[in-house]
Amino acid sequence: MTRAGLLVLPLLALLAIGLTFRASFQEPAAFTFVNGTEPTSLDPGLMTGEPEGRIADAIFEGLTVRDPATLRPVPGVAERWTISEDGRRYVFHLREDARWTDGRPVTAHDFAWAWRRLQLPEHGGEYAYLLHGVRHAEALNQHEAQAMALAGPVREALAALPPDALDAATWRGFVLDHDLAGRVRGTPDRALVEAAASETGLTQAERRALPARLAREAERRKKAAKAAREHYGIDEGVYARDERTLVVDLVAPIPYFLELTSFYPSFPVPRWVVEAPGNAADWFLPDKIVSNGPFTLEAWRVGDRIRVRRSESYWGRDRIALESADALPIENQTTALNLYLTGDVDWLPNYPSDLVDALRNRPDHYSHPGLIVYYYRVNTRQPPLDDPRVRQALALAIDRRSIVDDVLRLGQIPAHHLVPPGIPGYAAPPTAIRHDPARARELLAEAGFPGGEGLPEIGILYNTHESHKKIAELIADQLGRALGVRVKPYNQEWQSYLATMRSGEYDLGRAGWIGDYLDPNTFLDIWVTNGGNNQTGWSHATYDRLIEAASDVESYSQRPFFEGLAEPDRIRAGLLRLSSAKEGSARREAAAALRLGLLREAEHILVGRELPILPIYFYVVSGLVSPRVEGFHTELVMPDGARLPNLQNLHPLRGLRVRDRPTRVGGPAS
Amino acid sequence: MIEALLVTAALLAIASLAFLPHAVTRALGALFLSAVAFVFLRHVGGDFLAGLVCAAIGFVAWRFLPGAILRRVAFMVPSLVLLIGVTTWLMYLAPGNPFAQEKSIAPQVEAALRAQYGVPESPLAFFRVYMERLLGEGSLGPALKVKGRTVQEVLLPALPVSLGLGGLALVLAVGMGLLLGVRAGMRPNSWADHASMGLALVGISLPNFVIGAGLMIVLALQLGWLPVAGWGGFRHVWMPALTLALPHAATIARLARSGTIEVLQQDWIRTARAKGLTEARVVSRHALQVAVLPVVSYLGPAAAGILTGSFVVETLFGIPGMGQWFVKGAINRDYSIVLGTALFYCGLITSFNLVVDLLLAWLDPRTRQVA
Repeated sequence: MTRAGLLVLPLLALLAIGLTFRASFQEPAAFTFVNGTEPTSLDPGLMTGEPEGRIADAIFEGLTVRDPATLRPVPGVAERWTISEDGRRYVFHLREDARWTDGRPVTAHDFAWAWRRLQLPEHGGEYAYLLHGVRHAEALNQHEAQAMALAGPVREALAALPPDALDAATWRGFVLDHDLAGRVRGTPDRALVEAAASETGLTQAERRALPARLAREAERRKKAAKAAREHYGIDEGVYARDERTLVVDLVAPIPYFLELTSFYPSFPVPRWVVEAPGNAADWFLPDKIVSNGPFTLEAWRVGDRIRVRRSESYWGRDRIALESADALPIENQTTALNLYLTGDVDWLPNYPSDLVDALRNRPDHYSHPGLIVYYYRVNTRQPPLDDPRVRQALALAIDRRSIVDDVLRLGQIPAHHLVPPGIPGYAAPPTAIRHDPARARELLAEAGFPGGEGLPEIGILYNTHESHKKIAELIADQLGRALGVRVKPYNQEWQSYLATMRSGEYDLGRAGWIGDYLDPNTFLDIWVTNGGNNQTGWSHATYDRLIEAASDVESYSQRPFFEGLAEPDRIRAGLLRLSSAKEGSARREAAAALRLGLLREAEHILVGRELPILPIYFYVVSGLVSPRVEGFHTELVMPDGARLPNLQNLHPLRGLRVRDRPTRVGGPAS
Repeated sequence: MIEALLVTAALLAIASLAFLPHAVTRALGALFLSAVAFVFLRHVGGDFLAGLVCAAIGFVAWRFLPGAILRRVAFMVPSLVLLIGVTTWLMYLAPGNPFAQEKSIAPQVEAALRAQYGVPESPLAFFRVYMERLLGEGSLGPALKVKGRTVQEVLLPALPVSLGLGGLALVLAVGMGLLLGVRAGMRPNSWADHASMGLALVGISLPNFVIGAGLMIVLALQLGWLPVAGWGGFRHVWMPALTLALPHAATIARLARSGTIEVLQQDWIRTARAKGLTEARVVSRHALQVAVLPVVSYLGPAAAGILTGSFVVETLFGIPGMGQWFVKGAINRDYSIVLGTALFYCGLITSFNLVVDLLLAWLDPRTRQVA
């Protein structure tokens, strides 16, 4: 090698490096935060996830937005709205000065089109189900696929069964294998619903009538899908009455509907940009995007940062204090913490939990409960875990306090329920879950396994992660000591774990659930028979009925049922209140209270009797935020003075202000 | 079954290259070269023009390029096809799929996503879709977890970052390694030798996340000389480059040391000394050229590894490089990214081996005839 060569190589390397620096990133943003993982998409109709949500809330705006101080919905693109007497029709009046970044006005048509796009089955929007409460939405999204299944695979599988009466086990297996309950949910054919929910099997007559019923239902769903395709987003369900008036018709009142209109799946989408040639897959990248929020997407370099800048076309631009913000996709928590400590980052949403003792006394540390539950699924498909007594024994043998205090140590809350505390208006039901090893042993003996004798080994499946491992090992130890059962924790890599959990080849499996909106329903509708996230094989007719009743309280009040309820008198009282409430808002409140009562009954079945899941703990949200940041609310002060924790951990950029950057903490500036 | 047949056929094709006459491999190499060029050029100049240009390229290659290179090309193209086939098959064997998330998605949503992104349920169908897109559009396909971007749009901006950082690390590694190794080899068993080899042992044994964290604590948090992480100026470059370089520097030092010791015992070195040359001149003019041969052989594959980035170093220092995609692609089951990185790495490693062969031939007269 010649000397020249020795010089050229490093120069070439430095040149290549120099070319990768972006001039636009040389100036630090006014506010920089760690955003966890890289957003997979910024298309509001396709995305899911917290890191995506933080950016979407900055660059788009829905009909309503969450007030940064209370997180309650306040006017966004809609300056006002009216709700009909029965709570089923929302009419939104849009502001005149709402603009897209290309200068076009934001119209009701933009919303109608975006909502329609979200439900189109060929679009593939994962959050479509959140707006299934709008008339026609579910039909457009699912009915065609359901009709094809009912007319095809389900009918063929039925034909393969013997033509005479079906016993309970055969029929139950068929219903579960083909998700019959799910595929006929909401049908007017009561006989079909009852057949799908039947615990006793089918008589010969019922069995004979079934193919025709299924064919009729398939035909009905096909028609409904066709009607929805013709009308949804155009002149029914959701539609623009004129440029500035959006009408939304709901199947049944949804008390948290204005929360959904603040959530990104309901954001408007610029049709002319998405439909421009070559834009369908990447219209949301910085060089193409047209958005309507308080910030614009200035730059996005994968693996480096996303930069947003205050929008000049936003109607409320005078109220936005931040000039610009950077979101860093840093997954390594230690690196993120170091960046915070040297002052490169202003907000760190989480940190390595083993450093809690070193950090918790800092003045810039914060910690509050979150809307997240950590739990174990129980595979109820096979013995011995198909016996509720065994499941309850497991639940009683777990010492949650020790898990929270000895392993997690961030102040997490031991979970004796599924729904995290703090949801306004919701009172948790009585629960059978506590720490009581003696009672656990009794229950196990009642189930036929005295002292754990005769119990097969139970496996605990978790996805590979240090803290899941510690918890699983501690629980295995607790179960072994208390019940004498052999428990074996084992881990799988993320995707394998998801696949194993779905296929139902596990005994106990670690899981977590983040609430999508501030309502118990987001935690409870998971567990309906064959629900996509149920995955426990658990199926309970009363539970399914309660969830359905809660989704349409008015229908329930006309056809109430009380069998299987823990506190039927409470529900009766709620019904009485509803029937005596005549006038609009009082009636709405009574309906909302009754609805929460029904959900409470459902949760009681879950945690008081059946235990297809074992709740372990409720998360706390812990992080660090620089003192230079103002308007960062870890505690929300409601208009009535009530103080609530920021359960959903939302800190909209629109509400933040920063003081001038102080000198660095970690050393001289570099 | 069909997959197995496909793999066997490709393996046979590659193996048969060894038995084909020289002229046939030459022609095959030229043909493959022009075919690859055609796939990419047709988007620039249209089919006709690209065809002409590529025919010319093929002819020139066939007429003037050395046989060794054409042989490599003839070997490379079927290997890449085989690589795509086997990787696809293995990816589909792994549990999960690119669209699986913790929250389950409705069947009609998954079907829609599979159709949009061209990810059918069977590996063979995917192989077909992938090859059609690669040959027809010259595209590596849409990235599945970084939506809105194709694989080349994800990897190409990351490439100069990794190449530059890796190049710098390579220079640092070679510089430090040779300096330490040759000095140690000149006086075996001296204190300088023991000190350098001790240092090298530490460099080899410490994993790079320990080295990186150590550098971060000292240089960034304690002394405050360099920023902790990020990518935006030359001050961000040094810590990751050092972290990448140290283990390689250690290996190079050991190789250079043994090479030097061996060479210094040769007769022609005694001749050089007898001529009255200074020891420094003996080493730099006569010994070094031969002593670095094992280092050069090591550098080929090492450079391919270093230049494609490192997952650990990139996540530790928050660098938008290539290395993260090798790991993230697999974790996310992002089939397109997995194939893209595999193809890229395979291409790089084959070309580097070629460069090393040529370099060795130039440095070492004994291997010239073989090449």
